[in-house]
Amino acid sequence: MMDVKRRYVIPGDVIATGPLRPEQNVFQDGDRMISTCVGISEIFENSVKVIPLTGGYMPKANDLVIGKVIGTSPLSWEFDINSCFVGFLPAQDVFGRDYSPTKDELRQRLDIGDLVAVRIANFDRSRDPLLTVQDRDLGKIDSGELIEISPSKVPRLIGKRGSMIQTIEMATKAIITIGQNGWIVISCEDSEGLLKAVEAVKMIDALAHTPNLTERVKSMLGVVDGENNDTIND
Amino acid sequence: MTEDGIRCDGRRLDELRNISIKVGVLKNADGSAYIEFGKNKILAGVFGPRDVHPKHMANPDSGILRCRYHMSPFSVTERKNPAPSRREIEISKVIKEALQPAVILKDYPRTVIDVFIEVLQADGGSRCAALDAAAVALADAGIPMRDLVSACAAGKVADRIVLDVNNEEDQEGQADMPVALMPNLGKVTLLQLDGMLKPEEFKTCMQTALVGCKRVYEIQRKALMEKYFQNGEQ
Amino acid sequence: MNSQILDQLKREKILDLLKTGKRIDGRSLDEQRPLVIETGVIPKANGSARVKLGNTEIITGVKIQLDKPFPDLGDKGILICTAEILPLADPNAEPGPPNEEVIELARVVDRGIRETEMIDLHKLVLIEDKSVIGMFIDSSVIDSGGNLFDACSYASVAGILSCTVPKWEVKDDVPTLVEGVTSKPPIKTLPVSVTMARIGDYVIVDPTKDEESCMDARITITTNSEGNICAVQKGGSDGFTAEQLIQCAETALTVGRKIRKQFEQLM
Repeated sequence: MMDVKRRYVIPGDVIATGPLRPEQNVFQDGDRMISTCVGISEIFENSVKVIPLTGGYMPKANDLVIGKVIGTSPLSWEFDINSCFVGFLPAQDVFGRDYSPTKDELRQRLDIGDLVAVRIANFDRSRDPLLTVQDRDLGKIDSGELIEISPSKVPRLIGKRGSMIQTIEMATKAIITIGQNGWIVISCEDSEGLLKAVEAVKMIDALAHTPNLTERVKSMLGVVDGENNDTIND
Repeated sequence: MTEDGIRCDGRRLDELRNISIKVGVLKNADGSAYIEFGKNKILAGVFGPRDVHPKHMANPDSGILRCRYHMSPFSVTERKNPAPSRREIEISKVIKEALQPAVILKDYPRTVIDVFIEVLQADGGSRCAALDAAAVALADAGIPMRDLVSACAAGKVADRIVLDVNNEEDQEGQADMPVALMPNLGKVTLLQLDGMLKPEEFKTCMQTALVGCKRVYEIQRKALMEKYFQNGEQ
Repeated sequence: MNSQILDQLKREKILDLLKTGKRIDGRSLDEQRPLVIETGVIPKANGSARVKLGNTEIITGVKIQLDKPFPDLGDKGILICTAEILPLADPNAEPGPPNEEVIELARVVDRGIRETEMIDLHKLVLIEDKSVIGMFIDSSVIDSGGNLFDACSYASVAGILSCTVPKWEVKDDVPTLVEGVTSKPPIKTLPVSVTMARIGDYVIVDPTKDEESCMDARITITTNSEGNICAVQKGGSDGFTAEQLIQCAETALTVGRKIRKQFEQLM
């Protein structure tokens, strides 16, 4: 394991001083590296960053997110993607090139309140995020339950190479769709399994910063095996 | 006040009133805090970053910060009309300007961060207590911040400089000076004075207030640590 | 970002569960969420209460002061209930003058307490036509989680029950405050408001915010200790059948009795 120094920090905390590169959630004041959020600071050989424990989702191109239709205009759907920016899905992305607002009815395909797995096609600070459903695994979600977790804890939910999420899916027989925006849809034929999966996801959200999380999730789910050693986050 | 500097509520000259802060007390807000500062009881809730309404207020290059300080009708001895008074509007503005240097808004163009403060019971120094709660609520919401903002007043009562003026002292006192500080960056972001101070008293008064701000900071810090890391420092 | 639109999956789940007589939070159709009442939370007010009804949370303060009676009601004291949804309570609430929903909320709360004649207003008169005691009951929603009507009403009633009324003595036609003497307010009956929502063919008591976004119509019925129906407000953009309404009135009485027991413990 790499030698990384970790510490709990709040905004304004000086994480380190010296010639380091400030990365995410760190701001530089002279030679002081200062945290800009509540989270866990990590000092690497040349750089410093803070893993946030709270805060909203900042869209990133190529992220898979779960969106909720909140409105339509003649040419696009508007999506709540749990971010400060509203996402846009162009009508042509769903209807194809020959989309015509006089002939096609947007709401017949995707109505207000529908949950949709979408990918962020494009985003920069001058425009709101552009969405697409042109990929397998994308599109309207027909069943399941929406759970909201802190977007900063999504990596923890996925785990190393998907280990955490696989553990939950195998133990509960649930199908879990994870949006990078912290919106998670869980569906399961078996209501008992659904409850367990929901509980596991909520547990990870609440305890993401604590050690031995995989062990605790496994024991909650009643999974027995010896695999362990996971890091706080990555 | 007695000869040996014991004040009307039993405090020494450099003693703060009792302060307690709870983080994350509201379910609907993105971040929140409740402070009891002496007899002040104040709630702060933060929403955002989110879409700006009305649209014309939006800034294409940066997020904006809005702030509302409001007193409940039952918060003071005589019932207060719920419509915002000139005093509340001015305090809203100075609180906003005290928080502004701390928040980092450049990554949130076209959005707004709303800070809503409700004074449920008012005692002297409610603007400082409100600021203390608001800063913690902003951190709870995960808004990027260069530092926390910690506020406390000092003043002159019976010819002596005292820390943290209460309501009775404010009525009888010769000066009241609310101060807000970014404790790690050492920048004063709010300073008001009403009353009369000699130049050397002004200096002592401000230094007294700054010492108070730093003590308030420790309480803010502890409250955030308790919410996010249960047992405080690692 | 928090938008008010309920996701379609949850809406379907709420509707599906109702068909089997269940609700999304496990309650039965005529069951309220737990009601937690704490009084005396604002010592500077004459009376106060903090009420939690599920995820909805209210703070009410009562201020009592000397006042002039309304010109046509010279033999009655003044009673005014207000309600406000604080902007920190809800992502969709906006600062500024109250909108029609908030005004309806305040008026329905006021009507419930006024029409049940909870307080004997004649006993608040100091000098007829000239000087009376005024009671201002101000409720603030600090967290909105559905059914603000009942939550504000319960907080207002609890605030009034926790009240101590200052004493004024009339000397030479002038009311003078007697320091250090207080009394309980003149309570005649205990109003209990019960709000129900109709979703399709089902009527449920004490809807949550999610249930409210599925509801077709709403009804608030306030009853008094004697079992009379004293105030009603129908809301929402659809209606009820007469049979449903008669059933609602019965539910309001039975559910109301449980809440009234909680109020009695405050007296």
